[in-house]
Amino acid sequence: MEKEIHLDEMTRRRLLNWFLGTSVGAFLISVLYPVSRYLIPPRVEESSSRGVTLSLKPADIKPNSGQIFRFGSQPGIIIRTPAGELRAFSAVCTHLACIVQYRPDLGHIWCACHNGHFDLNGKNIAGPPPRPLEQYTVNTRGEQIFVGKA
Amino acid sequence: MASATVGGLILLLLMGWTLQAGAQEAGGSCVACHKNFGEDRLGKPVQEFSSDIHFARGFGCISCHGGDAQDPGMTAMDPAKGYIGKPKGEQIVRVCGRCHADARFMRQYNPSLRVDQVTEYYTSVHGQRLKERADSKVATCASCHAAHSIRPPSDPRSTVHPLRVAETCGGCHANADYMAPYKIPTDQLSKYRKSVHWRLLSAKGDLSAPTCNDCHGNHGAAPPGISWVGNVCGQCHAQNADLFNTSFHAKVFVQLGIPGCATCHGNHDVSETRDDMLGLGDGAVCAGCHSNDDKGGQTAAAMRQLIDSLRGEYEKTAEILRRAEHAGMPVNQALFDLNEAKTALVKARAAIHAFSVDAVKKEVAPGLAVAQKAYARGIRALEELQFRRRGLAVSVAIILAVIAGIVLKIRQIERRGRSP
Repeated sequence: MEKEIHLDEMTRRRLLNWFLGTSVGAFLISVLYPVSRYLIPPRVEESSSRGVTLSLKPADIKPNSGQIFRFGSQPGIIIRTPAGELRAFSAVCTHLACIVQYRPDLGHIWCACHNGHFDLNGKNIAGPPPRPLEQYTVNTRGEQIFVGKA
Repeated sequence: MASATVGGLILLLLMGWTLQAGAQEAGGSCVACHKNFGEDRLGKPVQEFSSDIHFARGFGCISCHGGDAQDPGMTAMDPAKGYIGKPKGEQIVRVCGRCHADARFMRQYNPSLRVDQVTEYYTSVHGQRLKERADSKVATCASCHAAHSIRPPSDPRSTVHPLRVAETCGGCHANADYMAPYKIPTDQLSKYRKSVHWRLLSAKGDLSAPTCNDCHGNHGAAPPGISWVGNVCGQCHAQNADLFNTSFHAKVFVQLGIPGCATCHGNHDVSETRDDMLGLGDGAVCAGCHSNDDKGGQTAAAMRQLIDSLRGEYEKTAEILRRAEHAGMPVNQALFDLNEAKTALVKARAAIHAFSVDAVKKEVAPGLAVAQKAYARGIRALEELQFRRRGLAVSVAIILAVIAGIVLKIRQIERRGRSP
């Protein structure tokens, strides 16, 4: 009878030890895995951001003018056409990745590096740029401007 | 007998009507006969013509060859009916020009199409040799546009589509035997296919990249003159051409009888520019004329040093910011600012065409300032990263020590429980 009670205690203790060992292991994994991910993070090629709220107000952008803004780590350009419409594009020239600008005297987007010209739809119209600028969507709500990837 | 004669007459009339109707449906008696020749020299034009834009617009064989397409017999090809057979040499230009040089006529089909091709052609080397020397080997309209499968240049199957122009010109110009009497090089096509222009056109699909006709002209094809080759390159590379044209090099090159852009960049095999083309080191094109002892050589070396300093600073900063970004540090603003240094580097590389140290310095200085500021931010981000890592190591060590202590305590309790 005494022997049976002893065996029963042994089985219970083994079970408790197993639970304890497993939970210690799980705890270690839960601590070390985030640490390893912190030390060796996955490669991120570019900002996964799909949109940005600008610090500019719609009224800050006068007709026939443009402003550069930050889209992740890349420059974007928001312009207001002479007709009053807001449009946004990537400000990275498709030729050699210079930052483009708006030229009020020309009435369109221009790259100073090699005299590349883009119309108000971002289409390359003169100079060496081989492709149009990437166009973004522009939404305004009150005093806020939200620019997003199409 | 009479009924047989009438029957025969009706049969003959029916046969005649059938032949005529068939000829009309298939594009005239020309097609009705020539289609039976299969793929040989007489049958091939009929097969090819079905894909020709002129066929699609309703033109038939007689529009160019003359004759009578309603006549089912050999008399369709009677010179008295305007039949000219296969046009040759100047006759080809005349036949095409009859419509293509007529603005009123062309307006019905394509109002925006130019009508000066014939005029231009006679200013080309091809046209001049044809007119002045009756050279039958030179290219005429059909040599480049194909005779019976003419398609608009925008059609990828067209022989004058941007991707196929080089091959079309090379059909003669890369043929050493054919070009032998003219004593001009025949390596233009093989050189062009090594150029950055061809790579952009063929590999990147950039149809705005130049092919033969963009520099030589198409109908007025001729080699660019030494004094105006820069204007040709300047059609696309306007900034560089403007800087070059205002530099003293522009005048000196003309005096020396050497072309502008091509002297340093080559012509058909123009390659992607590299910084080591500048200066006096290995691969430097300036070293072809200049040395350390002359002012030009010193200017080239100074410009190279400026470009190198900005490129070095830019690359060093980009690398450190990439490392910081990869480690999860917020360096978006610094990366954003670094775009200005990249822009300055590209502008400085263009500014070398002014051949002035000050012009290059003007672009390099702000770029260096931006790159150095961004570099300092990158260094701070990496220092912050090291600080966080040290903090993490301490926290992990404490956690592990606590775990070890708990385990030891449990074992101690167990040992006490087992002891009698």
